[in-house]
Amino acid sequence: MNELLPVFEWQQHVIAPWTTGLKSTLWIVLMGFFVATACGLLGNYLILRRMALVGDAISHSVLAGIGVAVVLALQLDTATLFIAALAAGMATTLIIEIIHRYTRVKQDAAIGIAFTSLFALGVILISFKSGKVHIDTECVLYGEVALVPLENFHLSLTPALVGAIDKLPMSEVYLRGNELVMAPDVVRMGFVALAVALLVWVFYKELLVSSFDPALAFSLGINATFVHYALMALLSVVVVSAFESVGAILVVAMLILPGATAHLLSARLPVILALTVLHAALGTLLGFHLATWLNCSIAGAFVVAGMALFLLAWLLSPHDGLLAQWHRRRNLKLEPPEEISSTSSAGN
Amino acid sequence: MRHLPLIAGFCLLAAAMPVWADRIGDISETSVIEQAKRFFSFRDPSVRYALIGSVLLGISCGLMGGFIVVRKMALFGDTLSHAVLPGVALGFLWNMEKDPVAIFIGATLAGLLGGAMVALIRQTTRLKEDTALGIVLASFFAVGICLLTRIQKMPGNKGGLDEFLFGSAASIGRSDIILMAVVTSLAVLLVGLFYKEFLVTSFDAAFARAAGFPVNIINYALTLLLAFSVVVALRAVGVVLVSAMLITPAAAAYLLTDRMHRLLGLAALFGVISGAVGAFISFLTTNIPTGPLMVVAATMVFALAFFFGPHHGVLMRWWRQKSRSARVQRENTLKAVYHVLEAREFDGEGVSLRELAERRRETLDEARAQSDALCKHHMATLHDDGDAIHLTPEGWQRACEIVRNHRLWELYLTNEANIAPDHVHEDAEIIEHVLGEETVRELERALNHATRDPHGRVIPGLADLVSGSTPFGSPETVTGYTSR
Amino acid sequence: MSVNVTKTVEPPPLEFHDLTVAYHKRPVLWGIDLEIPKGQLVGIIGPNGAGKSTLIKAAMGLLQLNSGWVKVFGEPIGKNLKRVGYVPQRESVDWDFPVSVMDVVLMGRYGHLGLMRRPSKKDRNIARDCLEKVKMLPYANRQISNLSGGQQQRVFLARALAQESDIYFMDEPFAGVDAATESAIVTILHELKAKGKTLLVVHHDLPTAKEYFDSLLLLNMRVVAYGPTEEVFKYDLLQSTYGGRLTILSEVAEAVREKS
Repeated sequence: MNELLPVFEWQQHVIAPWTTGLKSTLWIVLMGFFVATACGLLGNYLILRRMALVGDAISHSVLAGIGVAVVLALQLDTATLFIAALAAGMATTLIIEIIHRYTRVKQDAAIGIAFTSLFALGVILISFKSGKVHIDTECVLYGEVALVPLENFHLSLTPALVGAIDKLPMSEVYLRGNELVMAPDVVRMGFVALAVALLVWVFYKELLVSSFDPALAFSLGINATFVHYALMALLSVVVVSAFESVGAILVVAMLILPGATAHLLSARLPVILALTVLHAALGTLLGFHLATWLNCSIAGAFVVAGMALFLLAWLLSPHDGLLAQWHRRRNLKLEPPEEISSTSSAGN
Repeated sequence: MRHLPLIAGFCLLAAAMPVWADRIGDISETSVIEQAKRFFSFRDPSVRYALIGSVLLGISCGLMGGFIVVRKMALFGDTLSHAVLPGVALGFLWNMEKDPVAIFIGATLAGLLGGAMVALIRQTTRLKEDTALGIVLASFFAVGICLLTRIQKMPGNKGGLDEFLFGSAASIGRSDIILMAVVTSLAVLLVGLFYKEFLVTSFDAAFARAAGFPVNIINYALTLLLAFSVVVALRAVGVVLVSAMLITPAAAAYLLTDRMHRLLGLAALFGVISGAVGAFISFLTTNIPTGPLMVVAATMVFALAFFFGPHHGVLMRWWRQKSRSARVQRENTLKAVYHVLEAREFDGEGVSLRELAERRRETLDEARAQSDALCKHHMATLHDDGDAIHLTPEGWQRACEIVRNHRLWELYLTNEANIAPDHVHEDAEIIEHVLGEETVRELERALNHATRDPHGRVIPGLADLVSGSTPFGSPETVTGYTSR
Repeated sequence: MSVNVTKTVEPPPLEFHDLTVAYHKRPVLWGIDLEIPKGQLVGIIGPNGAGKSTLIKAAMGLLQLNSGWVKVFGEPIGKNLKRVGYVPQRESVDWDFPVSVMDVVLMGRYGHLGLMRRPSKKDRNIARDCLEKVKMLPYANRQISNLSGGQQQRVFLARALAQESDIYFMDEPFAGVDAATESAIVTILHELKAKGKTLLVVHHDLPTAKEYFDSLLLLNMRVVAYGPTEEVFKYDLLQSTYGGRLTILSEVAEAVREKS
């Protein structure tokens, strides 16, 4: 079992990545943070709308879109990927709707049929084309953040900007002479995360009302169906941009874990959204060091760290945590029975 | 002992394997692909193992899938199947080899732990079921991925664990088959023995509890069996897509039958077919994992059931709807003939197509097409070189019925439901085609056998329907109820 | 049918014409013709499954109509959304949702805000006044899951008040609330009516219906009667609303569902 858990060395697993290995560390951690933020913010609304598993479904089916693009020998640039993902996401939503409407198969089974079929189709198409057995399927499953191409994004800067940026922390990583050098995928993911954050901020009211009370949303002139489809479209785009780094299945964790953890800690949506971002940052950092230590899949480690944070919140949350609940039950027992019945009925 | 035929059925199914395989063998004569020949010759033990394995997984997944689909637990199955991954990895770590028993135990325990965690999250937090499922699914899977990638980098690793992700029927060995056979038989036996209990808790848990069934224990048993079938399918289908083998064949069976035991049998059959087809194709190609192929085969089965199912199939429904609207169209034509005859006080038998077309505000060609349809159904005959139609006795009877239904309904809506007379016509246009004999009697009683509709027209009476043989010639023919 | 046709310069707040609604081909409302004049407090009464909630949802444009139309102030509902306020059944929302009482009431103001605009100080003051009216101001910062049934209903009422609409639809506001809340709601209903608002309230309790509402709409798949309470609250009319005389109607509805 020693081989499974290597000896933990503070210097090697915590300090070194931020000194000697700073260049790759920064990009990987940033990528993880952007993915978790974009997914987590969006995932909050999936949780509130009880659509967490629709998120699961779409994140799987996006693979069919990529598979079709691969077979058609299209270049897998950003635009193609986004279009393929959108098409696959909409197809999933549609197939679920059709099975649900025209047969007596229930919604959950319809979801199960739709996404497994599309996912299987995607795997077949990709392995059919690639001719290699494992390389792509692995990436599909758990992605590889470490494979993100580094630093071939160059941007010339004016001297004034160079001076300004030079003063920022860790500038040696992204500043070469008068050029800004960055990892393109990380930059793209950063834009996606920023876009999601902006949309959540701009349409805060609309998202809130249509999630809480669709009928009220209608009477306020907000088209709940449109909001639904817009959310699904945004989800497809976020999922496909996160795909390379975390793969189809771990995306689900990125979608649900941050929001679920935040929901255990607060009952205010703005606070929850902030906690989601915090969870994303902490989970990424901890996960990165976990992966460095165990020398395992980085994306998997992000999720394991996120899960650990969820378990902590579940145990220790001041109101809803297991400990608090246990404590309350123990205190209740000390009171006379009439008190219990009266307080519990008042609480209902 | 209702479950005996069930068990016997599955034993038969398993026994019939070689016979069935022979039939496929005949087809292979025409096939040109070497691999296919090799597959069907069954000389290769790995081919035999793969086929037997897919039969076993088809049976166990179909059986358990039937229950989770009717219980609306399909996505619980998905969660459970992802949650077994860390167990697979730990089972492997036990003695650093793919020991089926160790992996089986590890996977089952991990699956049960995942199931328990879903229940615990639901009970102790405000998070809803879908979120709880998603958390467990993704977290357990991530732990599994971390362990797998860790194992790959460890010294002394023989590799090949990623077969468990997408499945590889070719890697199934003798010891795997023995384990799969034992677990599948256990599942079949338990479902057979406790069929009644599983059925009643699936249908109405509250009732089952009240009736004294140990609902909780039955639910745990079901989760355990579900974990079993996931583990059986693991080797061939892989963790990621096992849920499809649970859900899709059972959902296809659900489209074809209304009875639970038939559903389970069909689901097992579909599972076997998808498994065998997937295993076969994966032998023809070298680089496509088996799991996705089996899943796509299962999806094909579902698509066939979706389109061609005899009762709920989309095509059948479309056809039924078409024939129904054709019937409504015919009945409307009959009604139009009646109206024409009524307008001239039933003087003369024939109605010319021109009159019919004018009455229905249609072209002559349309009227001709409709009278042809009536003739085809023996409701009318053509006269005067095809320019006029005469109703046959059956046609006349149906025409009277339709008009009677229409007018009775109008009267009912006006008198009893206080709807204005100018609003009732459109309703009656629809209702007249669906009113049954008994409802009509009830309407008559409610209306005290009235004879005139709200617009003052005579309602054709029972006498007209029965003595429909020679109805024409005199205005008195349509008597209404007065004559009775 | 005794419809009060009071011709005014402004078109009536609510008008149904030959309205038919079916769920899964099973008719729920059938041939509804109705005109509700301004400033009325109307109770909608009928047995379970009579289409009471459906009538309200149809009026708000939440459902696909099978035939007929609804007009609000002489126009399709889409053009007059801001003049309509809504109190849904309490069970229709998730009370674990992470919002405070104040947040819920502020939602009522969203219709008056544009895209991207946040509720202003004025909106907050209005929301606070509305909470004060239903005596829920002390709970403004509570999370909504920590409220009793009656308190939840008051929050919904405050939200409807914050909408400042001209016509209100309320779906069973008295269901499962305590006596104090019930009388508070009645007071507010009458205040709104006095301000010239039109209110349609689904109600399931016959004895109180007579005291609470000044006109009643007896509904069972169709309008059995509509008019001033003293004219409509009669034994035979109630009998035909709740009684079995119309079983054929539902039987035929069943036949339509099966065969089409």
